[in-house]
Amino acid sequence: MSTKIITPVAQFAELLPQEYKDLVAHGPYHERRSVRDLGTFKEIVDEHPHCAGCGVALAVRLLAAALPSPADTLIVGTPGCSFFSLVQTALNYSNTAFGNQNAVAAGLKRMLEIRFPRVHKDVVVVAGDGGIADIGLDLTLHSWFRREKITTVMLDNEVYANTGGQESGMSRQGRVLNMAPRGKLFPKIPVFELAKVSGCVYGARVTVAGPYKVGRAVRNAVLLARELGPTYVQVYTPCPTNMKFPPDQTLRVAKEAEKDHYSFEEFMSAEAAEYLTRLKATSEESEKAPELAKP
Amino acid sequence: MYVTVKVEVEKCNGCKLCVLSCPDPNVLAYKQEEKHVVVNEHRCKGCGLCATVCPEEALTVSGN
Ligand code: SF4
Ligand code: SF4
Ligand code: SF4
Repeated sequence: MSTKIITPVAQFAELLPQEYKDLVAHGPYHERRSVRDLGTFKEIVDEHPHCAGCGVALAVRLLAAALPSPADTLIVGTPGCSFFSLVQTALNYSNTAFGNQNAVAAGLKRMLEIRFPRVHKDVVVVAGDGGIADIGLDLTLHSWFRREKITTVMLDNEVYANTGGQESGMSRQGRVLNMAPRGKLFPKIPVFELAKVSGCVYGARVTVAGPYKVGRAVRNAVLLARELGPTYVQVYTPCPTNMKFPPDQTLRVAKEAEKDHYSFEEFMSAEAAEYLTRLKATSEESEKAPELAKP
Repeated sequence: MYVTVKVEVEKCNGCKLCVLSCPDPNVLAYKQEEKHVVVNEHRCKGCGLCATVCPEEALTVSGN
């Protein structure tokens, strides 16, 4: 996974859309970027199809900026609103059948470890609540039980958004939705708590109203998954279209949720805490290097 | 839909909250040299989030 793969040969460069050429020239590959640098590089093709004010699209931007080694990262996703912009990021992306993403990611991670023993190749699952908590829950949990060294990021908009608003396991109890007119009958599936007891060495629950927190959580999760085991980030990404609030209120809705059921929470194993402290101590430089010293 | 995002440049304090809140990429950028935010309106969907988060009320989004 180097920029050579995506750089068009001279003969074809002419034919490719400017959007694509810009992604290669100004994508996040060449130096380490962070959420702080958003607006100074090109993380996604301009014209993505998310609705105005979409929390999912915002989370994808933050994620694209936060990865420690974008050129050495493979994102694995699944159908749903999350993949609209993911396929258009300046990142290596692979789609899977709905719900399979953690099994596919685990296989790819093992293959990449064999193929590139000296370089860290990060594999990050990015999928919606439906993909992870409903249809993919068994495969997600099993990847955690097996201690697969992958990061799972749930973009939780608490609804099946791209199919018109059915309830998902992550919808809140009582929530009335387009296709749940009487309100959802049972509480949110406690995936964050499940991550704690199923083998994740690190977990964070954040909302798009805290862009730096999202960035830090993703970064920690990816760095820790390299060395120690599975990690999980759950991001609240409100959907104005299905939740029927005005699109300029997405961040207010996320902020309200922080006071209510989406307070910031982080957990990590003792080993993970020690590793993060060590990383910090060994200066920014070591964090920058994609092939962070592996024995 | 045609959307206009107006930046009152003298009000902008460079906090970049708007850039970090826009769900659409490559619409808003903070120009260090000019010390204010610039807008690429072609890609703006007019959600208005940037205006809601701006602490200086430097942004106005309008359109139909
Ligand atoms: S339906 Fe909701 S989650 Fe999907 S693109 Fe629109 S706002 Fe985003
Ligand atoms: S949020 Fe307002 S003050 Fe801050 S950078 Fe944007 S326009 Fe300037
Ligand atoms: S109105 Fe929405 S899409 Fe347009 S610049 Fe502001 S935040 Fe971005």
